[in-house]
Amino acid sequence: MEKILKKSDLGKWVGKLSAFDCYAPTKENDHWEFNQVTYLDSLPEDYTQVNVPLKKVVLPNREVLFNFEDNRNGGPHIQEVLPEEKEVVVFGVRGCDARGVALLSKIFSESSPDIYFERRKNQLYVVGLSCYPLPGDNCFCLSVGGGPFSTQGMDILLSDIGRKYFVEVLTPKGEKLVELGWEFFAEPNDQDRQDRLRREKKAQEMFNLEIHEAEKKAGVLHHLFEDKIWKTESFRCLKCGICTYLCPTCHCFDIADELASPVPLQGKRVRVWDTCQFPDFTMHSSGHNPRPDKSSRLRQRIMHKFLYFVETYGEIMCTGCGRCVSKCPVGIDIVNILNRVESHEG
Amino acid sequence: MVKISDVRQEAKRLLEKGKVRGVVGYVPGTRGGWAIPYLIQEAERAEQLVWDPTCVHNLALFVVEEKKEQAKQKEPDKRPLAVMVKGCDSRAINVLLQEKFINREEVVLLGVSCENSGVVDRRKITHLLHGQQAGEIRFGDNGNIVVVVNSERRIFDPQEVLADRCLECQYNFPVVFDYFYGEKIKKTPPAPYAQVEKLESFSLEKRRQFWEEEMARCLRCYACRSVCPMCYCAECVVDPISFAVEPTTTAEEKAKKIKWIEKSPLLSENFVYHLVRAIHLAGRCVDCGECERVCPEGISIRLLNKKLEREALRLFNYVAGTDSQAPSLLSTFQETDPEDFIW
Amino acid sequence: MKDNPYLPQLARIVTIKEEVGGSRPIKSFRMQLLNGHRFDFKCGQCAMISVLGKGESMISISSSPLERDYLQFSVLKMGRVTSALHEMEQGSIVGLRGPYGNGFPLEQWTGKNLIFIGGGIGLAPIWSVLQTALRQQNDYGQLSLFYGARTSSDLVFKDELRKLKDTLPVYLSIDVEEPGWTEFVGFVPQNVADKKPSPDNAIAITCGPPIMIKFVIKTIQELGFQDNQIYTTVENKMKCGIGKCGRCNIGPHYICKDGPVYSWAKLKTLPQEY
Repeated sequence: MEKILKKSDLGKWVGKLSAFDCYAPTKENDHWEFNQVTYLDSLPEDYTQVNVPLKKVVLPNREVLFNFEDNRNGGPHIQEVLPEEKEVVVFGVRGCDARGVALLSKIFSESSPDIYFERRKNQLYVVGLSCYPLPGDNCFCLSVGGGPFSTQGMDILLSDIGRKYFVEVLTPKGEKLVELGWEFFAEPNDQDRQDRLRREKKAQEMFNLEIHEAEKKAGVLHHLFEDKIWKTESFRCLKCGICTYLCPTCHCFDIADELASPVPLQGKRVRVWDTCQFPDFTMHSSGHNPRPDKSSRLRQRIMHKFLYFVETYGEIMCTGCGRCVSKCPVGIDIVNILNRVESHEG
Repeated sequence: MVKISDVRQEAKRLLEKGKVRGVVGYVPGTRGGWAIPYLIQEAERAEQLVWDPTCVHNLALFVVEEKKEQAKQKEPDKRPLAVMVKGCDSRAINVLLQEKFINREEVVLLGVSCENSGVVDRRKITHLLHGQQAGEIRFGDNGNIVVVVNSERRIFDPQEVLADRCLECQYNFPVVFDYFYGEKIKKTPPAPYAQVEKLESFSLEKRRQFWEEEMARCLRCYACRSVCPMCYCAECVVDPISFAVEPTTTAEEKAKKIKWIEKSPLLSENFVYHLVRAIHLAGRCVDCGECERVCPEGISIRLLNKKLEREALRLFNYVAGTDSQAPSLLSTFQETDPEDFIW
Repeated sequence: MKDNPYLPQLARIVTIKEEVGGSRPIKSFRMQLLNGHRFDFKCGQCAMISVLGKGESMISISSSPLERDYLQFSVLKMGRVTSALHEMEQGSIVGLRGPYGNGFPLEQWTGKNLIFIGGGIGLAPIWSVLQTALRQQNDYGQLSLFYGARTSSDLVFKDELRKLKDTLPVYLSIDVEEPGWTEFVGFVPQNVADKKPSPDNAIAITCGPPIMIKFVIKTIQELGFQDNQIYTTVENKMKCGIGKCGRCNIGPHYICKDGPVYSWAKLKTLPQEY
C-alpha cells in the first residue's frame, strides 16, 4: 500500500500513537541515537545515522533472563523475567539497521527461538526513512544486498519527496499504524511516484564505497584461512569492541550471574553484549585459547560475516552501514580488506 | 618543518642494516587520507611513512603490544623496535621505561616534533566540513592546517581544528628520542586546565549530573583501556576472568578471582570502571588523549585524567613521563609530601 | 518454562563419588530433576549445569540414556563453576538445561566393532556410549576399550573398569612407570599402536586432551582406519548452548549445536579453532 503524508502532518500522526513508546533519532554530543520521544513534529533534516544501531531495541546490551534466590527453607527458586509488554515504534530507521534486525531473526527466531528477542521483535514497529542523500561517506549497502530505499525489516518506509513523505506500508503492523491516523494519509499521484523513483535512482549513484562482487567473497575467503593479510591488518587492532558493538548484525553475548546478596543467595542471570574481538571471548577455563591473537579474531569477524553465515543461511551477515569502517579508531577497513583479498587471488 | 623524507631514510637504513626488527610508524589509511599505525618490516616500504596532522595515534601502545607478543614467542627476535614518537608518545615511552616495563635498548625512537601545531580532531573537521570528506590534511605555515576538500584547499587556524589535547599541550617536542625531526619550538598553552576548572566551578549536584550523563553512555567496549599504553597490566581488575592462566594455575586460584565489577554496562559499574581506571592512571597519564578520541560515545574520559594530572602537579609538582629516571609518583614517599588530606 | 531456552530446570544431586583426588580432582555427580521429569538425551550430548550465583558450565553426560534413574556428570575441577560444584553436597540443588549437541550416531553403528579410546576426563562422553552398547550388546560386534591417564590415581571409574574387564578387552595405560602397575606404560596412542586393533568393520571413538586425540587419529590411520571410521568430540567455551552467543564456533559450525561429535572425515574440513 502506498500513501502520502505531508511533513507537517507527521506530528499529528505520531500524536495518535500514544499507546506506543515512540523512539526517534535525537542528537547527543555530535552524534545521533534512538531515544524515546513524547512528540515528533519532524524528522531532523540533518539526521544521518544513529550511533548504536536498531539492534539495541531487540537485543539490549543487558537483558535480565531470570531472578534466582535460595532462602534455605524452600531451596533455590528461579523466577523467569521477560521483557516488558510494551509496543515500540522506532522512527527514522535506515535500511541497513532494519535489515540488521531481519538478519538477526534468522539466528534468534529460526531454531531454538529466543523468547526475549522474539518478544522484543514482535513488539517492534519499524518506520524507516530512505536514504537520499546517503547518510554517511562509508555507506556500502548496495554491495551487500541492500540499498538506500531497502524495505527489508521495515513496517513502513518513509521517503522524503520535498514537502511530503512518500509512504510505503509494507506489513499488517504498518497498516495498523497508518489506520490510527488515517485522516492524515492521502493517495499518491504519478508525480509523487516519479519523485520517489528519481530520488532512489540518484541515491544509488552516490556511493563512494563498494565491495566488488561481495557475494563471491565466500568462495575466495574459503581459501584464505591461513593468509598473511590477517596478521598485517590486525597489527594495529586495539582489541576493543567498537566494530562489533556498533554493528547492526553482530550479536555475540555473554551470560553472567549478578548477585544482589551472596547469603541468602539472591541475584539475576543476565545476558550482556560480548564480542569476538575480546581476548577472553573464546578462552577456555584451562587457559587454552583457540583464537589466541588479534589476527585470528579479525579473521573470525570477517569470515563470520562473509563466509560462515553465507554457508549457513545463504546471505551475507553485513548490511553495509559503514559503522565499523567509520568508527574503528585505527582505520581497519572491512571493505578494503575484502577488495584486496580478491586481487590476492587473481 | 619535519622532513618526512629524513624519517623514511632513517627507517630504511635501520631496516636495511637489520638494526631493528621493524618500524612502527604512520602510513596513509584507506578512507579520506587519515593515517593509520603500521608495522614496516621491509626496507622498501619505508617510503610509505607519512607525517601529517592525522597522525593521531600514540604509537607507544604498539611497543607494549609487541613486547607482550614477544613474550609468547619461543625464539623472539631480540632486535629493537623502531617507533615514531610525538611529544606525548615519547612521554608514554618514558613512563614505560620508568616502570621498567621496557628497557631503553628495546626501542629506537624516531622523534617527531609537532612544532607549533599538533594533530587534528576528526569531529571538529567533520563539523567544519559539514560532512564532506577531506581528501588530504597537512601542516601549513604558522601552525595552520591545510585541508583539501574536492581538490579545493582550505586553511584552518589550529584553534579551530586541533585536538583539545594539542591545544593544551606543552610537550610538542619529544622528551626522549634517538633521532629527531623538526624544530624545537617553545609552546605555552594558554590554559591547560580550563575545562577542569570550569567543571570544578559547578555545584556538587551539577557535577554529579554531568558525570552520570557521561557514564550512562558507556557501552563498555573498552576502547579507552585498549588504546592506552599505560593500561598494560596482564590482569585487569575489570576482567571477569584471569588472563594469567598457566597450566599450573589451580581451579581454586581461578575460582577465587574476585569479580570487582559486573560486565553489564550499568551506571554503577560504568562509574567503577572509569574511576578505577582514572586512579590507576594518576601520575602516569601523559595526556595523549587517545582514550577520548577513540570513545564511540564521546565520553569526556580525558577530563577525568586531566583532573588527576592537575592534582599531581598541584600537590607533588609532578608531571608524568618527563623523566624516565625519576621515581614514579605513587610508589614513592617524600617527607615533603602534603598530608593535609589525611585526618 | 519449556519455551525459554535459558531457563534451567532444578535438579538434586543424589550421589557424589570422588573419582580422582589431588590437584586435578574429578567427581561424578548423579542427578535427578526435581519435577520428576525425565531428561531425554542421546549419547555424547551435553547439559548446561548451573550453580546459581556462580554461573554455568557445559558438561557431557557420562551415563547412558537407557539409565532411567539418574543423569551422571563426571566433572574435572577447572574453574569458578566446577569448583563450586565440587564443593556441593549430596542433596544440593543445581540447575540443568539441555540436552545440547548432536550426539554419537549409534544407529549407524549396528553390527560394527566399537573401539573406545579415551584419555583422562575424556572417558566421560565415551562412557555413555560404552554403557549403552553394553546394554544392547546384540546390536554391536566386539567392544574394546583403551584408556589412559597420567598416573593410576588419575584414572576415572576405577571400580567399573575392574568389573568391565570380565566383559570386554580393557587396555589401560599410565604415562610413567609406577610400582605395582602391571599394565601398559606410555601414552594412549602408543598403547593403541602396541595392541593394533583391526579396522575391519570397526568404528573408533576417541576423546581426551586435544594432543592425545591428534596422535590417536594418526596412529589408527596408520592401522588402516578410514576417516569416516573415526569419531571424536571437540569442546570450546560455551555460554548459550543453542548456537547464538557466538563463541564456540569452528567455521560455520557451532559445537554446542552442530557438534560436539564429529567424524574425522568432517572435522578435518573445519578450521582448527578448538
